[in-house]
Amino acid sequence: MATLLYSASLNDCIARWREDGLMVFGPSTAGGVSGFREVEDAGSLDLDLVLTRSTLKELFFPRTEPMLGYRIGKQQIETEEFIPPEGRRIIFGVRPCDAAGMQVDDALFDWDYHDAYWFRRRDSSVIFSIACTHSDAFCMCTSLGLAPDSTKGSDVLLRPLAAGNGWKVEALTERGENALSSISSLLKEGGDAPAPLTDVPVKFDLEACRRWLADPENFESRFWKEISERCIGCGSCTYLCPTCHCFDIQDEGDTYQGVRRKNWDSCSFSLFTMHTSGHNPRATQSARWRQRIMHKFNYFSLKFNVNSCTGCGRCTRECPVDMGVTETLQAISTLQR
Amino acid sequence: MSIQEHYRSRAKELLSSGTVKMVIGYGTGSTPDRRRPVFITSPDETDRLVLDKACRTNLSGYLLREGLLSDQKQVAVFFNLDGVRSLNILAAESQLETAQVLVLGFRIEGEEVTALQGERAADFKSLIAAAKEQRKSQPPHELQEKLEAMTPKERFSFWEAEFSRCIKCYACRQACPMCWCRRCVVDNNQPQWVNTSSHTLGNLEWNLLRAFHLAGRCVECGNCSRACPADIPLHLLNRRMSDEVQGSFDHYPGMDEAQEPVLASFRKDDPETFIL
Ligand code: SF4
Ligand code: SF4
Ligand code: SF4
Ligand code: SF4
Repeated sequence: MATLLYSASLNDCIARWREDGLMVFGPSTAGGVSGFREVEDAGSLDLDLVLTRSTLKELFFPRTEPMLGYRIGKQQIETEEFIPPEGRRIIFGVRPCDAAGMQVDDALFDWDYHDAYWFRRRDSSVIFSIACTHSDAFCMCTSLGLAPDSTKGSDVLLRPLAAGNGWKVEALTERGENALSSISSLLKEGGDAPAPLTDVPVKFDLEACRRWLADPENFESRFWKEISERCIGCGSCTYLCPTCHCFDIQDEGDTYQGVRRKNWDSCSFSLFTMHTSGHNPRATQSARWRQRIMHKFNYFSLKFNVNSCTGCGRCTRECPVDMGVTETLQAISTLQR
Repeated sequence: MSIQEHYRSRAKELLSSGTVKMVIGYGTGSTPDRRRPVFITSPDETDRLVLDKACRTNLSGYLLREGLLSDQKQVAVFFNLDGVRSLNILAAESQLETAQVLVLGFRIEGEEVTALQGERAADFKSLIAAAKEQRKSQPPHELQEKLEAMTPKERFSFWEAEFSRCIKCYACRQACPMCWCRRCVVDNNQPQWVNTSSHTLGNLEWNLLRAFHLAGRCVECGNCSRACPADIPLHLLNRRMSDEVQGSFDHYPGMDEAQEPVLASFRKDDPETFIL
């Protein structure tokens, strides 16, 4: 026997959570583009998508957010600190790779500085992931040591039932248990069979890639130019990546008043490393692509003992010139042999 | 011989004879329906070239890669007519010399891909002139008609909603062959002309600024719309600006490399007495 949530009860669950003062978010499509948005009922959820176009990270690390306001008067300077709203949230229908991305970034945002903006939202959110029964040609969680039913970063894991009428429910954290207790009357006990998980083939040998990347000899390899010659530096791969986390601090306003904001930034942009002198240590697009790969699979892995990639495949799926992490790591795997 | 075979052997000839140092074309992608830009420098690799109806990307932007044309050698590029027009504009704007570019021209019509006659930008003049006439009689896009029928207020909220999805990745700019500025105005921060934040104002500023800067220069190749990860219908903006430029000045961008840029030239008989 296991705890089950039938799809038919989902609407009532959402209503219950909302009555309790929680906001409910989930995958939904607006203007033809899928992402995580607040929903009022189950009908607005798009749970059949393999993956949303934009990622879960936007709910924790918005593309722009105010941090500080300032106003300079004749006598005094006033400042105002913007703290993200405290509202508690349920995020329903996350894919395991996106949830795992949260855990990757937890390490970063708690490294030399505890990022209150990130953790305030983390602490007030409960992530309900749904194991994958479908995947597409770009999915590659298994190449990164994850799986269609990984539990990393999730508070509750839902396993779709074979009959397609609901999910088997597994609480993974205390936050998850609490969120489930408020809907306990809507959960059932039963022995319904779970649906088989999707089969995601392993696309490269990650350890071999990491060894190649860690070898200083390869830093200046011609490989980098060849593999990234067509990159146009558009940054889509970073902005749509669940783990890419670079940001820029910008002051907007004039001498007397304004707002300091935290905005997304990307290592694909030439401006990212441009010095005031005009010198750019990453002068070419291939140097920038090398940085993206090195950061994810070498530097980040060494520092935090986890790769900064969960295999969602978006960088390939969305690249206008059909590049991506997959091709590069596949090519490195072959170099190894 | 299929058009793909025809161009593969032409590319081989061009590379073996040393006429060109590189062929920029399309190759297979990571899934059967995807194509990717490829850069072929050896005659032994021309089998990697693919030409079919999935080859949509305008490749002219790659010609401006740092140093590529600085040795005066020639490069061959696969181009449809929009691509040739963008090549003409780049030449008109002094970004390259057409003498260094050999055109491998093609046209996609439905399922059909055909070769265009000629190999130099100037060879396509009459085809471009015909395209200009054809554009005049082109029926408006369905959504375009809907937009025209709206009140300015409704139209503004339509675009506000569209731009609200913009994530300020600048993929539209990076993908656009006409966006060749080494330093885009949004990348300047002394002074900061445009807000870099992706909030309503910043997004609106960015998208309108780009649309204006592309007026009379856009060849409607679609690179920007295809690259936009937020699926913003940028082509509608571009089309509207192109209609305006064609209607007001009879200007069809990219006719030839001698064409004056419509918004950067002045005539004494201009009805406006001042630069708008
Ligand atoms: S790899 Fe692709 S998505 Fe990433 S910056 Fe380059 S062109 Fe854009
Ligand atoms: S690097 Fe690519 S595959 Fe990995 S998490 Fe980011 S977008 Fe997904
Ligand atoms: S604005 Fe868009 S359609 Fe126009 S030339 Fe640039 S990429 Fe092509
Ligand atoms: S490509 Fe789309 S999302 Fe990116 S900056 Fe341009 S309009 Fe905005």
